[in-house]
Amino acid sequence: MTREVTLTIDGKQVTVPAGTVIVDAARKAGIDIPVFCYHPKMEPVGMCRMCLVEVGRPMRDRATGEPILEEDGSPKIQFGPKLETACTVPVSEGMVVVGLSEKVQAARKDILEFLLTSHPLDCPICDKGGECPLQDLTMAYGPSESRFIYDEKMHLEKHVPLGDLIYLDRERCIQCARCIRFQDEIAGDAVLEFYHRGRHTDVITNSEPGFDSYWSGNTTDICPVGALTTADFRFGARPWELKNAASICTHCPVGCNLTYNTRREAKSGGNVVIKRAMPRQNEEVNELWICDKGRFAYHFAESEERLTQPLVRKNGELTPVDWDEALTLIASQFRNAGERLLTLVGGRLPNEDLFNLKQLTEGLGGKVALHTYMGGGEYVVRHGLSAGSNLGDLGAGDTVMVIASDLEEEAPLWYLRLKQAAERGAKLIVANPRPTKLERYAGEVVRYTYGQELSIFDDLKAKVAGATNLVIFFGSEGLGLAGSKALAAACADLFVSSGHENTKPNNGLVGVWPAANTQGAWELGFTAGADLGAASLLYIVAADPVSDDTAAAEAIQNADFTVVQDLFLSETAALADVVLPAQAQVEREGTFVSGERRLQRFYPIVTAPGQTRPDFDIAAAIGEKLDIELKGRFPSLVFPQICAQVPAFAGLTYQKLAEVHPQWPLVDRSDRYYGGTSYGNQQGLGVHLQAAEAREIPAAPTAPALPEAEIIAVPVTTLYDHGRMVAASPVLQPRLRKPFIRLHPADAQKLKTTDGMTVGLAVDGGPVAPVLVIEDPAVPQGFALVARSMGVPIHQPATFEIRIAETSMA
Amino acid sequence: MNKLAERYPEEIQAILAKYPPEHKRSAVMPLLYLAQREGGYVSKHDIADIAEICGITTSEVASLIGFYTLYHDEPAGKIRIQVCNDLPCALRGADDFLKELCDALGIQPGETTPDGLITVEAVMCLAACDKAPMFQTQTGEGLQYHENMTVEKTLALIESWREKEAAQ
Ligand code: SF4
Ligand code: SF4
Ligand code: FES
Ligand code: FES
Repeated sequence: MTREVTLTIDGKQVTVPAGTVIVDAARKAGIDIPVFCYHPKMEPVGMCRMCLVEVGRPMRDRATGEPILEEDGSPKIQFGPKLETACTVPVSEGMVVVGLSEKVQAARKDILEFLLTSHPLDCPICDKGGECPLQDLTMAYGPSESRFIYDEKMHLEKHVPLGDLIYLDRERCIQCARCIRFQDEIAGDAVLEFYHRGRHTDVITNSEPGFDSYWSGNTTDICPVGALTTADFRFGARPWELKNAASICTHCPVGCNLTYNTRREAKSGGNVVIKRAMPRQNEEVNELWICDKGRFAYHFAESEERLTQPLVRKNGELTPVDWDEALTLIASQFRNAGERLLTLVGGRLPNEDLFNLKQLTEGLGGKVALHTYMGGGEYVVRHGLSAGSNLGDLGAGDTVMVIASDLEEEAPLWYLRLKQAAERGAKLIVANPRPTKLERYAGEVVRYTYGQELSIFDDLKAKVAGATNLVIFFGSEGLGLAGSKALAAACADLFVSSGHENTKPNNGLVGVWPAANTQGAWELGFTAGADLGAASLLYIVAADPVSDDTAAAEAIQNADFTVVQDLFLSETAALADVVLPAQAQVEREGTFVSGERRLQRFYPIVTAPGQTRPDFDIAAAIGEKLDIELKGRFPSLVFPQICAQVPAFAGLTYQKLAEVHPQWPLVDRSDRYYGGTSYGNQQGLGVHLQAAEAREIPAAPTAPALPEAEIIAVPVTTLYDHGRMVAASPVLQPRLRKPFIRLHPADAQKLKTTDGMTVGLAVDGGPVAPVLVIEDPAVPQGFALVARSMGVPIHQPATFEIRIAETSMA
Repeated sequence: MNKLAERYPEEIQAILAKYPPEHKRSAVMPLLYLAQREGGYVSKHDIADIAEICGITTSEVASLIGFYTLYHDEPAGKIRIQVCNDLPCALRGADDFLKELCDALGIQPGETTPDGLITVEAVMCLAACDKAPMFQTQTGEGLQYHENMTVEKTLALIESWREKEAAQ
């Protein structure tokens, strides 16, 4: 237990743990001490002097060490001759802090006058205006006039792109170094720095490309002025015009809590549109942060290419029809479907939709399957994290293992959380065939050869032995469906055989899944690996198997009837007999299960385009025509059915998911000088699914053997892939990398290619696509890395062919 | 490819040997001196090389160059004449000295003579206030103080450097 300390701040008694700085103690007591450079998530630096207060301490007799008392018996307090920075001074017993005196008020006024000497005061055109700590604190504490000469203000560049995503206005910067310290301390990418000194101090980046970090957007939230703005939002809207609505990020299995800011605007045809994505505080998930993918990749929903009406193939052409015609046709085909029907779903579908689709399909006698390149969900359903888990609690004595995953690329926020766990003293084991960034923080690095994953588990046993709590993250680096499933089974075995049980918080397996609700699909009983070719009636929802598998195209062509339900006319949809327009996540409500098995609720943000309908509702409409009763219209009607049927969901309600409790640090939009402009959480922190009782666990499958070849292509995942959910975002465009094949220089030589060359690549006899050759000594010899969702279909370790003659294609 | 390491293998080893391996970043200051010894400035490439050697980011290296006036990231004359014109020196005529010197050389403070030999810069206090007008020269060899200077004496000095340069 940490020692508690009692002190008095502005006449109010406050008790806080020893080591707390005065600013935080005041915050807990509801007393505001203004700050600029201090941020509760970072080490104090005492740079801006805004937090000056009077600090008194009980006097002691030097000879005896006894407290000196006033005549009335109260301790005599000695105040220092100078003001002290409340952000750097830790509390001590009996301390008296005064923030309301004239002396303090005068100091605040002076500091603000100084900060404003060269500040441009362009609030009327500044993106931060309306939510700016400098503006707010100047109104509260600042002088109404400056004694400095207006014409002597320094004039500096106002539109400096630090990178493709973030702009710097040098005039507005008050040199608090929050952005620099965030990048260094929290993100671990020290790509921002100060340059020069004194009045010439500038924020710079020297990285290639500029501001090279997946976390850059967060600096715009904590910058206390309008110096840092995002390419996405700058000059986009005024903060006071914005409404906010709670959501969950759809881009990876972390499930970061978001707030979307929206505005109804003339330039968007009078529609409500999303103007920006902001983090919403959830200290057990994403704290106050989100990655740049979550912040900038939301644009796909507003794409012009969205499907807006049902289409039915007539004379070979997909032709617009009304819903009833499409549904009637589907019903006529699906009636008495039986085993001929296969419903294939994508992991971005919410639970309510997955549930209805499963009810419908099984009601017709058909089978459901999940479209995913990564398997092993059965094991996480049984051994995943449960109630009370919080990666933020992992520390000394605990072990976290990450195997076959480049976490920063696949689930960025987990990367941050595990970095922090390691910094708090947890043992971090990173096992991967090639170096990943997370290794910087690892206590142990285990290197194995692609395809040899399972051979290291004997070693791993010794490494995880004795862990108080054990969390194992497993991914799909270099693995296909079967390989990742075998890996999951081995992880489950390691977890259990080392004496761990997931009924205890912070113990369990976490799958680094490809999609936001892949875990939800496993929980609802979906399995992977369906053979499309075996079904003659196909119902494909939120999945595009054709884009990465030529066999899928064949299966559809051979099937009697195919329905595709999606946001876009995907390659799969283009082959279908009926195409149904679905709604995007931001257009409706529902729930996701994160990789940590946290069930979280999201809300409608914008109105849906055209005649789109949510997937669960479409399933219900088809059901209605076939006398299968399903709840449509509201997901809140479906959710109780899930809870009644699936034990892990038992007892949950939408209300429970919407519950909140106070979180530290206390952030609030009304005093954003403290935590930044990220949103507090009023809409729900989510609830963990229950640890499943001994569900039947499939026996460990055998791992597939690697193909025979001198160099084998293996799939890896990159954050900014070329999937439509990323590529549709205009601001992310410049950050998208060219499709690549990454090779050890020796292997590149064997293939007669060189770094930077464009070649034709065909994996596993598939189509040829142009890719960039990247030589990288960190790639193990004998393997070539090919990114998923980047134009070259790759499912598992495979043979490949390079065509140099096709250079001209680039 | 670390060009700096190729150019100065021994020097770099000697510098690194002074610091514990887990604090390699401490070697950044001497490495910056090393990098600018020949060319008089630290190139973008050098910055990347130093970052790699020290295990820090290029932004961190660049930041140090910005902070210290004795590191440069732009090419300039072979000899930098750094004239102090802080207040005490200004009271002893440093401002006039600087202006007249620049006029005589036909350049502005911060600029380089057309032959590429001399750059004149104004700097902050060099702790020789009582001997103003004064300047220090910075070359690849290091720093040298020149105190109680006049424009004539300085021009003579420059002339001697020019001759030496021509002789080489
Ligand atoms: S850009 Fe913003 S966060 Fe960074 S130092 Fe300047 S004021 Fe602070
Ligand atoms: S870490 Fe994942 S969930 Fe969080 S913002 Fe990024 S993509 Fe979204
Ligand atoms: S000095 Fe305390 S907040 Fe900046
Ligand atoms: S003021 Fe010029 S040397 Fe001190």
